[in-house]
Amino acid sequence: MISIKSFLMASAVTAFAGAAFAQDLAPLNSDTEADRMDWSALSEQLGDLPKPAEGTQVGGVSKTLTNEYWRSLGQGYQNVADAQGVTLAYQAAPSEGDQLGQLQIAESMILQGNKGLLVSPQTDNNLQPAMENASAQGIMVVNVNDAVIPSAEHYVGNVQRDNGVRVAQWFIDNAPDGGKVAVIEGQPGVFAAGQRTDGFTATITEAGNFEVAASVPANWSRETAYDAASTILQQHPDLIGFYANNDGMALGVVEAVKAAGLQDQVAVFGTDGISDAYASIRAGDLTGTVDSFPVLTGEVAMEVVLRLIGGQDLPRVVATPQALITADNVEEFSVEDTAALREMLLAE
Amino acid sequence: MTDTAIPTRTAPRINLRDAGTFFGLVLIFAVFAVLNPVFLTAPNLINILQQSSINACIALGMTFVIISGGIDLSVGPTAAVSAIVGATLMIAGVPITLAVAGAIATGMACGLFNGALVAIAGLQPFIVTLGALSLYRALALIFTGGNPIFGIPPEFRSAINGLVLGVPVPVIIVAIIAAILWVVLNRSPLGEYILAVGGNPEAARIAGVPVARTKIIVYVLSGGLAAVAALILTGRLGAADPTMGNLWELDAIAAAAIGGASLMGGKGSVVGTLMGAVILGGLRNGLTLMNVQAFYQLLATGIIILVAMLIDRATRGRA
Repeated sequence: MISIKSFLMASAVTAFAGAAFAQDLAPLNSDTEADRMDWSALSEQLGDLPKPAEGTQVGGVSKTLTNEYWRSLGQGYQNVADAQGVTLAYQAAPSEGDQLGQLQIAESMILQGNKGLLVSPQTDNNLQPAMENASAQGIMVVNVNDAVIPSAEHYVGNVQRDNGVRVAQWFIDNAPDGGKVAVIEGQPGVFAAGQRTDGFTATITEAGNFEVAASVPANWSRETAYDAASTILQQHPDLIGFYANNDGMALGVVEAVKAAGLQDQVAVFGTDGISDAYASIRAGDLTGTVDSFPVLTGEVAMEVVLRLIGGQDLPRVVATPQALITADNVEEFSVEDTAALREMLLAE
Repeated sequence: MTDTAIPTRTAPRINLRDAGTFFGLVLIFAVFAVLNPVFLTAPNLINILQQSSINACIALGMTFVIISGGIDLSVGPTAAVSAIVGATLMIAGVPITLAVAGAIATGMACGLFNGALVAIAGLQPFIVTLGALSLYRALALIFTGGNPIFGIPPEFRSAINGLVLGVPVPVIIVAIIAAILWVVLNRSPLGEYILAVGGNPEAARIAGVPVARTKIIVYVLSGGLAAVAALILTGRLGAADPTMGNLWELDAIAAAAIGGASLMGGKGSVVGTLMGAVILGGLRNGLTLMNVQAFYQLLATGIIILVAMLIDRATRGRA
């Protein structure tokens, strides 16, 4: 009974600690946070990864495993976990909308004795209680791409705004005469979707001779994106390009462009760099994607949490790499080996 | 009315169907306890109750609607609308108790709308609440522009996240609601009306049961409980999200069905539904602790629901 009693006292204490919240940290904007570091500077500035203690466990809580991006991210966690002799449990909710299911997974992981948690929340707030609870127990929590918990102490991910900026830059470089473009947005209210759209729209509008003729949400759905693109093409048959907030939607847009017979006139870009997007670029359908290298991102995230567990002091945001992939460099970036990919990105 | 309804009212003996659900619950927990040392520890059991409390709250309302022969598919969006109203009021500086009342009133108003369309306009419950599901979700998204409302007062968060004698506040709230609903269903004329309306509406009408009023009441109850669940979640998350409650209706229907509610109406149990919610919560928790991937968790949930239904049919016969 003593154990139960002491547990009750401990949980009462954690409840209080949880109630205090992390109010001293400003709400995180992972794109603009000043306390940041690029992934390439980790080893240079902090030295080698401290050897994790025997039996260290780390939990990964992902959005969903029905999207290749999140499976690849888990692969990255696993790569570093294997290399460092760390045990990884990687779990995800059955579907992307299941906010409570994901919270339950995170709460269970806290009890499993994990020293660190890598969380990719469904929304900006659904994992909030688990994060507070874990922090109160001294578990290192790292928010990994792409929804951002405002009170997160550590974030690993790419600069979302930059995804849109890179695509806009391609249009500015490759379509000097300008023209009409359209944006297919992700889920409204999601940080990544808003930032990507904003980066694209602001950059291309600034160039002067471009007009964003339409900007509509398709909720990350290929089918919805297809329908939206068909409608936009009917209304603006002189459109020269689409930017979709993720690759799934971009592939839907590609089909709509082909159905309208406009593939020679309309350039289509996605974001994420999933293997279907690579295949589509090789086939000459998709014009390009901004690859954020999920496996490499996963490796960086695992490295960051192990450094934190090892007692190192890291900036609040660690930015991960990204690159615009088109038919010009698609073969070059189609490497399975992340060590080679690291070298290539560091050389850039 | 069915002959099973009368003895439960006259003599408080243990319901056979509930005993079956309890046996299933014990069996599932025993299996996990053997397979995983963490499962049967006090912190994890409290965790399971906490995780099940929101679904249990929704499922209790759902049970009443199902007993009356209806269904409420709009519980998730009703919760979202209620949470947004509550959060907006709190942030505007309205006292917390008033904001809570406002949120619950919003949920009940959603339920009243559903109930009126079902009972007065005579539309089918499935279609009415399917339409309401889109309607309420749209209202939540339009009002917020898709963005979650942050800045919930810390006093409200502490109240929801607190413990009473080591038990999380949400679990206590749901337990009190369940106790009240048990009395309503088993010891009050309203409970008898609800069972009668679901069992045989025509006979109920002839016997003088106020059918329309009874039906409206169960939808108002379901909407009100959706708002309570929404407030619990808002307190836990520290934000009111317009996408809150996605697919809650399915978990709630599953919990009610495992607990013995018949979608044909006329049958259902408060205790059974609570156990159904704990079975689903425990299953998810246990499989996660064993690091079973999400897809297999879905598989297990599906099998449990179907097995529960087969046992139900076998024990009740073809009545």
